[in-house]
Amino acid sequence: MAPTHLRSALAAAILLALQACGGGQQPAEGQPSDTDSLDTAAANTHGGVVKVGGQIVAVPSPVQTALLIKKLGLPYEKALPLEASILEKLATSDQHALALGAFGADLAYVTVHRDGQRALNILQTIQTLSGKLDLSNAFDQGLLDSFKRSLNNEDSLLRFSGTAYRAADQYLKNNDRNVVSSLVLAGGWIESMYLTVSGAGTKPDAALMSRLGEQRRTLSALVAMFEQGQGGKGQETLLAGLKDLLVEFDGVTTTYQFQPPTVDAAKKTTYINSTSTVAMAPEKFAAIATKVKALRTTITA
Amino acid sequence: MRKTTHLLILAASLLFGSFAQAQCDTIASVCEKHITEAYIPDGQFYRALLREDEVAEFGLTLYGGTTYRVAACSGLNDGNLVFSVYDKDRNLLYTNKEFNNDPYWDLVIANTIDVTMEAQLDPSKAGSGCAVLLMGFKK
Repeated sequence: MAPTHLRSALAAAILLALQACGGGQQPAEGQPSDTDSLDTAAANTHGGVVKVGGQIVAVPSPVQTALLIKKLGLPYEKALPLEASILEKLATSDQHALALGAFGADLAYVTVHRDGQRALNILQTIQTLSGKLDLSNAFDQGLLDSFKRSLNNEDSLLRFSGTAYRAADQYLKNNDRNVVSSLVLAGGWIESMYLTVSGAGTKPDAALMSRLGEQRRTLSALVAMFEQGQGGKGQETLLAGLKDLLVEFDGVTTTYQFQPPTVDAAKKTTYINSTSTVAMAPEKFAAIATKVKALRTTITA
Repeated sequence: MRKTTHLLILAASLLFGSFAQAQCDTIASVCEKHITEAYIPDGQFYRALLREDEVAEFGLTLYGGTTYRVAACSGLNDGNLVFSVYDKDRNLLYTNKEFNNDPYWDLVIANTIDVTMEAQLDPSKAGSGCAVLLMGFKK
């Protein structure tokens, strides 16, 4: 009996392995097959739709908001980014993940304001955090050295950090550490919003108010992500803060009008011509700002 | 005996997991070449393990005044993955199906827009596989 069981188990193991090697689904006869086959059992399926990476939404890069802040000529406030000393207060991997995202937004903020020394300090903090999260490969000494060599080249610095965060996200998702990935995204978004509202002053620029108003979808998705547990357990305070913030967006008016896109095939470019507007009163901006600042304290609590 | 069976199945699962990871990593390294130096990576990695006609989708906000590059890859050669972009009313904004499944494309956004991106394997080229989407934007 024992050899029979062993043979069955071996057969099952070999079948699984073969499927991963390309022995699974195949195209119809006569059709080319230059893509490796791969079983999808581990994917997050919902009625035939597989959500990419188990995610509901992609969060816009904090770099884009940092660039807008710079473009609008808002003053560079050195006191806004997180201090490295907060690491001493962070005990759990969830806190480390949120902070890793937040420091990424800070890195973009100081980089676009050409504060190279602060950027280097933040990158070193990021390196420490990545070590605590077993992500040292993404933020290794090579990245730090490249960063040092390019301190006067803003574009290179933004590319380096974007590439490093993508590598970290890739590692996390490939190793089924989606909770950490989600928390990094959430931390980055919260810090990015904090930087947006904190430097706005009493008469916020219309473009800045629009950018804030454009966050409803991302915020809704973050709320859904935490409600579904993708942000891990024990995130009640963070979820409550996000939901509280989302309520404020009820007073933000948006319009959208589809316009046919135009295509320049030679340049591999499509121009999306649809129009949209966001209307937000300064009082609403102030109310949202207050809640964003309260939410940000959950990162450092 | 049951313990042996479980161990073997566990070993096979781990083997499968590492194959899947290796496959996605290889595809990602091919795909990231399409996000050239002119673009800043958005810092995220989008992937799905797709089979047959399954569709991967994710929603995101594209900011007005920005040029985005989207790269979509599966397998080691270009053109295995179909990706499409829809607005919130399901108006089709772009699909690479009209351009021989081109693995990358630029989207120039006039005004901020919420979109849904969908990706699926071209059934004439692949039965299943890892789909990778990468994004970057111009400063």
